[in-house]
Amino acid sequence: MEKGTGRPAPTVLEGSQALADDLDAIYRIDRLRRLSAQTRLLLLEMIYRAGSGHVGSSLSCADIISVLKFDQMDWQASRPRTESDVFVLSKGHAVPAWYAALIVDGEVDPTYVSALRRIDSPFQGHPDRCRFDLVDVSTGALGQGLSVALGRAEAKRLKRQDTWVYCIVGDGEMQEGQIWEAVMYAGIRAVANLIVFIDYNKSQSDGPLKDVLPLDGLTEKLGSFLWHVQEIDGHSHAEIRNAVIRAKENRHQPSVIIAHTRKGYLGDDRILLDGAHSGTLSAQDFEEAVRYLGGLV
Amino acid sequence: MKATRDWFGEALVEVAERYDDVVVVNCDLGSATKTHGFKKSFPERFYECGIAEANSIGVAAGLAQEGYRPFVASFGHFLSGKYLEIFQSVGLNDSGVVLVGTHAGLAIGKDGPTQMGLRDLALMRTIHNMRILHPADGIETRAMLYYIVENRCPIYLRLCRQPQREIHDPGYRFRFGWPDVVREGERIVLFTMGGMVEVLLDALDELSEHGIDPTIVNVSSLPVDRAAIARLARQHSYAFVVEDHFIKGGLADEIARIILDMEEKVRLGVWGVADYGQAGSPADLYERYQLNAHGVASRVREFLVTRN
Repeated sequence: MEKGTGRPAPTVLEGSQALADDLDAIYRIDRLRRLSAQTRLLLLEMIYRAGSGHVGSSLSCADIISVLKFDQMDWQASRPRTESDVFVLSKGHAVPAWYAALIVDGEVDPTYVSALRRIDSPFQGHPDRCRFDLVDVSTGALGQGLSVALGRAEAKRLKRQDTWVYCIVGDGEMQEGQIWEAVMYAGIRAVANLIVFIDYNKSQSDGPLKDVLPLDGLTEKLGSFLWHVQEIDGHSHAEIRNAVIRAKENRHQPSVIIAHTRKGYLGDDRILLDGAHSGTLSAQDFEEAVRYLGGLV
Repeated sequence: MKATRDWFGEALVEVAERYDDVVVVNCDLGSATKTHGFKKSFPERFYECGIAEANSIGVAAGLAQEGYRPFVASFGHFLSGKYLEIFQSVGLNDSGVVLVGTHAGLAIGKDGPTQMGLRDLALMRTIHNMRILHPADGIETRAMLYYIVENRCPIYLRLCRQPQREIHDPGYRFRFGWPDVVREGERIVLFTMGGMVEVLLDALDELSEHGIDPTIVNVSSLPVDRAAIARLARQHSYAFVVEDHFIKGGLADEIARIILDMEEKVRLGVWGVADYGQAGSPADLYERYQLNAHGVASRVREFLVTRN
């Protein structure tokens, strides 16, 4: 069985490796389409039951998290992350997407869907590893997760361990000064086992990013800090997956993948709550979203 | 006579030879915080982050999560200034980071209040899983280094710049949270820590001239054992706290809280720095703020006179 496909590896005839690779990619992308829809369904159910939560931000990074959790990361609840890949959600407010992916992947019991933001629950409103060790790093106040990811990547280099540290930061989060301290360090020290996604959903708490403080020239800025930069459609599973594969091929630089996303993204023609940062889900919004996503699962 | 930061630098190399998980994250203050000896011996375990304390603390938290014991050294004033990063990346992650805050108190002298570690204890006391260590001499510094590498909790190690003499016997054993009685007297107990232990010992002659024979307690780690402090307070009618720190939020508040909760009545006085501090030679500052031997002797006498 190949990791992530849920089916036996395709039989390879002599000379048809490229075709087999294509088929494998098609199987994986099809599977990711279904699993990401399930992830969206669960995260919406969690937030709806909790009565609050960051719907738009969780939905914008749901495809990135799906590709990482279901296809690219070597990450299982049963294995210590000191020996495998690490996942850091620096934009901690999007954590319902991670909780949902854990349930979809069978790492956590589905009954926890009603645990989000409840008192004494492991599913805190922002990731808290003292209460739930299936979040690798506690985050919430923005700007800090990338530095911790960097420390973990340095530790893995010191151990000569062939594993990866993944980190998702928000676009608004790029306004934090600490992010640039970490960016400067990782580039100049060539911390090449670090793969960072910027969830570029172009919106933050007070409104559109362009009205608050734009991030123009991000590709050039990060390139000048000696990072390997890719820019992709953050809702295309194929593009996300290919970008991770290319990032892993670069053994000389840290990688950043600028993923253009949309806040509240359900599917090609569906944006929930008009892309609000943390709006309240009405029963009607929720039911319509469930009907729509149900058609994708 | 040597500063605890110097003893720290030497002891760090010593423990790093035995514990290969010890790493250092530096913030461009290796010569001032004495981590350069470590860098020379173990360059592959030395991470220079530059003048970027927030990132340094995060990097250290990540290294700790992977099983290393990282020491992040900077002036205590700068390090504790990154409170939100310490609260979340260290505290809320329960990351075994050792924050080494040097230049405690007024002793940095002429550089003034933007460099003085005068409110670091107040901030670190609010991090629930943080253990605070503040050695009084070289023997205690070395003992604390061994405690640190044998435990994995978040630590704030507060160190002094001014030279201090050894006050402990070489056989001294450090026990976390346990108040260390360095001199036994009667009627009044003086609680203090770090560089002030020596100052109180130096004040004994003047106090003795006025018939004051105090017990002196080195409270070198926080949170301190409440029962042990209460027992010491109970054995004396008067308790007085002296600290090279803002009066607000530091050792005085820790002791006061314990005494408030006691059933017996103990009269409590406190002395420390009551403003932002200022530039001046260390000797002038300790005289001006009444934190040299004569100054603290005067404050203790005044306390006993006014509370009698």
